[in-house]
Amino acid sequence: MNHFHANLSNCQLLIFLIAWAISTAIGPLSVSIAGGQERQDTESEQFFSEKIQPLLKSHCLQCHSHAAGEMEGGLTLDSRDGWSTGGEHGPAIVIGRPEESLLIKAVRYQNEQLQMPPEEKLSDAKIELLVQWIEHGAVDPRKTANVSKFVDGPMNWWSLRPLIRPPVPRLAASTEAQPNPIDGFVRRKLAANTLTFSPPADRRTLIRRLFFDLHGLPPSPEAVAAFVANPNPRAYEELVDRLLDSPRYGERWARHWLDTVHFADSHGCEHDVFRDNAWRYRDYVIDSFNRDTPWPRFIREQLAADYFYPNETYLTPALGFVSAGPLELSRAGTAPITFDYLDRDDMVTQTMAAFASTTANCARCHDHKFDPITQEDYYSLQAVFAGAGKGDIEFDEDPVVAKSRRHWTELLESIQTADRSLGEKLLSAEYSEIVAQWEKKQEEQPAVWETLLPKESTSFGGAMLTIQQDQSILASDVRPDQDTYTITVKTTLTRLTAIRLDVLADNGLPLNGPGRQDNGNLHLTEFEAMLIDRDGSEEAEPTRLNIRQATADWNQDGWTIAHAIDGDLKTAWGIYPKVGESHFAVFELDEPKTLNPSHRIVIVLKQLHGSGHLIGRLKLFATDTDGATSVNLLPEPVLSAINVQRDQRSEDQKMAIATHALQAYAEKQLAGLPAQSSVYGVSARYSHASKLEKPIAPKVVHVLRRGDIHQPGDVASPGALSVISHPSGRFIVDDANDEPSRRAALADWLADPDNPLTWRSAVNRVWSYHFGRGLCDTPNDFGRMGGTPSHPELLDWLAVWFRDDARGSLKRLHRLIVMSETYQQTSIFPPISSAAALPVNSPMNEFNDCDPSSVDAENRLLWRMNRGKVDAESFRDAVLQISGRIDLTMGGPGIQQFSQSKGPQATPKLDYDAFDWSGLTGARRSIYRVVWRGIADPLMESLDFPDLGQLSPKRGSSESALQALSVFNNDFVLHHSQVLANRLETSHPTLEEQLALACRLVYLREPKQAEHQWLVAFAKQYGLAATCRILLNSNEFVFVD
Amino acid sequence: MNGSRRELLWNIGGGLGGLAISQMLGREAMSDENDAPKPEFNGGLHHRAKVKRVIQLFMTGGASPMDTFDYKPMLDKLHGQKLGPADKPEGFTAPAGAIMKSPFEFKQHGECGRWVSSVFPHQAKVVDEMAFLMAMASKTNVHGPATYMMNSGFLLPGFPSLGAWISYGLGSLSDEMPTFVVLPDANGLPYNQKGPFSAGFLPAMNQGTVIKAGNQNPVPDLFAKQTFPFATRAADKDGFELLNKLNANHAVEHPHDSRMDARIHSYELAARMQLSAPDAFDVSKETEATHAAYGLENPTTRDFGQRCLLARRLVERGTRFVQVWSGQQGATGNWDNHASIPKELPPIAASVDQPIAALLRDLKSRGLFEDTLLIWTTEFGRTPFAQGGDGRDHNGGSFVTWLAGAGIKAGVSYGQSDEWGYQAEVGKTYCYDFHATVLHLLGIDHKRLVYRQNGIDRRLTDVHGHVVNEILA
Repeated sequence: MNHFHANLSNCQLLIFLIAWAISTAIGPLSVSIAGGQERQDTESEQFFSEKIQPLLKSHCLQCHSHAAGEMEGGLTLDSRDGWSTGGEHGPAIVIGRPEESLLIKAVRYQNEQLQMPPEEKLSDAKIELLVQWIEHGAVDPRKTANVSKFVDGPMNWWSLRPLIRPPVPRLAASTEAQPNPIDGFVRRKLAANTLTFSPPADRRTLIRRLFFDLHGLPPSPEAVAAFVANPNPRAYEELVDRLLDSPRYGERWARHWLDTVHFADSHGCEHDVFRDNAWRYRDYVIDSFNRDTPWPRFIREQLAADYFYPNETYLTPALGFVSAGPLELSRAGTAPITFDYLDRDDMVTQTMAAFASTTANCARCHDHKFDPITQEDYYSLQAVFAGAGKGDIEFDEDPVVAKSRRHWTELLESIQTADRSLGEKLLSAEYSEIVAQWEKKQEEQPAVWETLLPKESTSFGGAMLTIQQDQSILASDVRPDQDTYTITVKTTLTRLTAIRLDVLADNGLPLNGPGRQDNGNLHLTEFEAMLIDRDGSEEAEPTRLNIRQATADWNQDGWTIAHAIDGDLKTAWGIYPKVGESHFAVFELDEPKTLNPSHRIVIVLKQLHGSGHLIGRLKLFATDTDGATSVNLLPEPVLSAINVQRDQRSEDQKMAIATHALQAYAEKQLAGLPAQSSVYGVSARYSHASKLEKPIAPKVVHVLRRGDIHQPGDVASPGALSVISHPSGRFIVDDANDEPSRRAALADWLADPDNPLTWRSAVNRVWSYHFGRGLCDTPNDFGRMGGTPSHPELLDWLAVWFRDDARGSLKRLHRLIVMSETYQQTSIFPPISSAAALPVNSPMNEFNDCDPSSVDAENRLLWRMNRGKVDAESFRDAVLQISGRIDLTMGGPGIQQFSQSKGPQATPKLDYDAFDWSGLTGARRSIYRVVWRGIADPLMESLDFPDLGQLSPKRGSSESALQALSVFNNDFVLHHSQVLANRLETSHPTLEEQLALACRLVYLREPKQAEHQWLVAFAKQYGLAATCRILLNSNEFVFVD
Repeated sequence: MNGSRRELLWNIGGGLGGLAISQMLGREAMSDENDAPKPEFNGGLHHRAKVKRVIQLFMTGGASPMDTFDYKPMLDKLHGQKLGPADKPEGFTAPAGAIMKSPFEFKQHGECGRWVSSVFPHQAKVVDEMAFLMAMASKTNVHGPATYMMNSGFLLPGFPSLGAWISYGLGSLSDEMPTFVVLPDANGLPYNQKGPFSAGFLPAMNQGTVIKAGNQNPVPDLFAKQTFPFATRAADKDGFELLNKLNANHAVEHPHDSRMDARIHSYELAARMQLSAPDAFDVSKETEATHAAYGLENPTTRDFGQRCLLARRLVERGTRFVQVWSGQQGATGNWDNHASIPKELPPIAASVDQPIAALLRDLKSRGLFEDTLLIWTTEFGRTPFAQGGDGRDHNGGSFVTWLAGAGIKAGVSYGQSDEWGYQAEVGKTYCYDFHATVLHLLGIDHKRLVYRQNGIDRRLTDVHGHVVNEILA
């Protein structure tokens, strides 16, 4: 500071102090200092507003202001705060010191990296003005931009205001006794613009519209005829109910949701690997729509079914929601640091867009430029997903099975971890019967293993081997790197078929052994056995006993017991990580050996791996039974305990028996359960696509300055939007290390009845698919960059009704919408003045007599229905249905409509051209197609199936020559043109009749005379299939009135 | 904007996506529209366009700068010294080895005196036509994200590529040719499969059309397969006519729907494309001398040469943007020379060198350089440190791109890497600057070519990008 002052002249210092005073006061004019200074302030301000402000405006603000929506390099120059805080390179201005100010350096083009403005250097005169301004204190009276960002407060925005049910407008024009509230709102707005509804659509149009809308399929000609002829005034209503009850409804509407959440069957990115079990989430979504899961529950299931509904295990596939995005493999391998963070960003973006229509992700590098979302909010949302690992999560579809599995697994876990409650549990009444049964069974079997009595034991490495009371041998004292034990034993058996080695846990060993290595492990390099006859001759040659096979109760991965008899000194048996418990191995002889009392058996245990991987305590047994490995393999100390009289057993011995009996029982129970299913989903027990031993604690998430992973700031705790006071945007999570409870907290926040965003988001999304556009045209963004609703009261009314009256039932919402007059209007403009097009009783004078398109060309006010175009799935499914071969089988693994071959890396090569459409799988509905994220089906792509690297809240629509060629020449269309032709040929004998049927199937009407003639003439020349191809390419087929 | 125009945009594009389709619906009617190509701007959107068509050559795998165009004598001096980072940076596939000099001889070429190594003898002869960005940088050292970045400006999938943005902004030059064509290596697709040619969230019509050069049916679905005998050429021709009659009839009862009109028009164009495209894709119509110049008779250069020649034929006929890829994804057969620079780089370099020089000369001699831009680029560079024995690892720190043709100041270079060629030091450019410059040449202000997606006005250049005026004529 002294140094700083020393460089300032007195005059400069004075100016500096004044500027400082101004900058710290609330407003420059409220500062009351001496009169002279006040005058100076005014002059400085004048200088600013006349010279500096215009200069900034014309050369800088285009890229550095809130108003322009540009903050190049993080710098804004539209307020004092903007330049004093500065951007990536720090503050732009050092008051009073132009030479040190970055702004001046930049405009002087001093540094090649930072030359502003980039297009053209400022004139010397302009630079001099900036220099003067900074020299004289850089007086800048502008208010900070942040204050002016939200003119009437941050919450004064349509989507954030509390939900209040507006009154339904009652209009005299309504013809119905109980008008649909939707029509009240729409009519009022039309009337205000001197417009009215268009006439209702005819019944043929209505049923076709309704079928494509609710099922994504056309009706059959028979269904159309029946509906058109149905005299029942409730015919339409009944049709609506029938369609909503059909499972075809879920198949149609699930696809909308899968687009919204960018779900695909493969990972995406550079390693676009198949996700074998992702499809169960797709089936879950279909099922949820069909079951009409209430919306708040739909939110909770998808974000945290594991937390909210742990017993309803069949809901586990809902967790595929969080893992729908493409980045997990990139996080697992490609670039873990970068993608760990980007993957969480993807989860945040998806969740907030899908459920709350909020672009929280815009606050990643700075507070949201347009909406009241702080950077801290954004990182709080990241913290929600900070422990969310992804992988193929195993689950039981049947909750009873799940319960049983949980029960026995928990028992096994408490046995393995030997937790404190274990003793109590094992000796409890619940289990004593199982133990008793087991013991009874044991008693029925003859004793098999005889303990071998050690006579002599030596350690080559110099350890002390002591024979214990129970005839086991304990190694102690010196622990050499390698060792070989030679143990001579005696037996009473007269026949020998197998030898058994038990390595025993002992609390004197590291981690209770049974090995001497610090981690409790051991490595048995070779097991050798010899027979010596001690009868008479001292020089008797030992006979090597050949081992036929070795079996162990447990083998370390890659260190199996077979390695102990393979003669290879580089391989060995190990027991890691199951240390702290006893293990055993059985060595069977290649043929039985007859023994006499003078025989001694010499056992050599070579342990040459090094680093002290040695056996700590061991015991040896032998048997004369054949097939020793298949019977009665009891570990020590169960084996000893069972040989003790029941009433003489110690507590430890009782425990040993109970533990063993229950473990065997539990394992058998578990083995008897049906195999588990998997779904690609989210869980704290998975990471980088593989299962973990135990759940990992969520990572610490920092608020990142400018979104830069190298600039971590404060730690963020789980939360959502702090601007909303209720429900609170900062979560209270009981156990911060419990990953699911973080997701659950977000689900609760979203599903809260008072959340203003959720309910508006849901009804608007549903509306947008019925009408081709939402009441708000940006279904994923209700912020200030999004659209504003055409009918805000209607949107609010629907949101409240959906929440309170319909209790989150989508089917009730669909019903309300499609039952409205608004929905049932004709889409044709101007309406054809044919009487046939209008139902009887339609009051003509009600309709528009002025040209509505001059008032509202976009039809935002809904003076007619919007015409739709069939989307990619509907096109394909309709072709399948019309050709008569659609297969309505539901669910199951995805259908691969391509051939697959090995690629140069992890991603395979797909050939869609090689698929044979005559095969059975060619006839399934499109929702069951495998969607390979990065390698799209060319036909689907040309029909505007979206790139699911990003969220797709609405489908695009485009028409180009290449797209036309694709529909014209793609194998799918051509194949089914032929199938349709075959259908026509088998139905009718003449071309005329065949083509009349074609029109009924494709257009759902009788052919017109001229049209019929053209078709027949064409078919005569080129055949029926060629004619069907043209019909399937025609506008009348692909557009829905 | 008048009412019907707005409605049209909404109907066609499902929102704001109708910019390019206006091309198909009669360009003249759109001339009052702000963001439509304007004749007074030579077809540019925001200022006068110098370029109307682009050929981009993309070297998959990360072409080594210090073994091709970025001469670093310091590497000779430091050869064998362990000076690299101690910790393995993210995206390196192995810890950095010792500094490695280039195994190739460098010489100065042309009047501009550009240093070129011995792996590019043919390009060395045309360096006076090129402008070099010598210090390009990537935000990643990993192929997938880096390939996305150089194509779409983002590390992630789902964003539109340069070609898609150009198609969206400017539309087609010809009714009879696809607007954005991709010619992948005969061995396979680059990293991210078709991701680098995606239209992302732009309307599907803007995506790259993948052409299998040398295939009997290079344009997908241009004609029906022969397994459908009823779809003869005559049935196609008369079928299009019948379709038109049915659609026209239908339109009488469904008037005022621009989307239906657009679909009718798209089939008319399809019929015309069937007539003109086969000729465009038939390189056998070129002279023997041309074949020889592009190296079509040499197995080493045949594939890339054929695709370069095809690229020229396509831009001649009105394709806006052609991408020619060298190398497929994976460990071999591309520019990802981890194992050995002296063994792996020369063959891949030889496969492109003569065709590139031939393409450049051909474009120039045919006058196409009047409005065509030729670009050579890659996803990132390679380390000055050895990997294994004599390979090099990934390096986003610095790499080279060159541009030639319309609007380019030939013979200049901009930017400089450090003495090792490890990091960009002076005049660092990112894909944002490169893309901004290409758009600028096409008459587009990169900040004004936007598409609103999920509440964000998306740009090819995200929130960055400066036109590199230093390389512009």
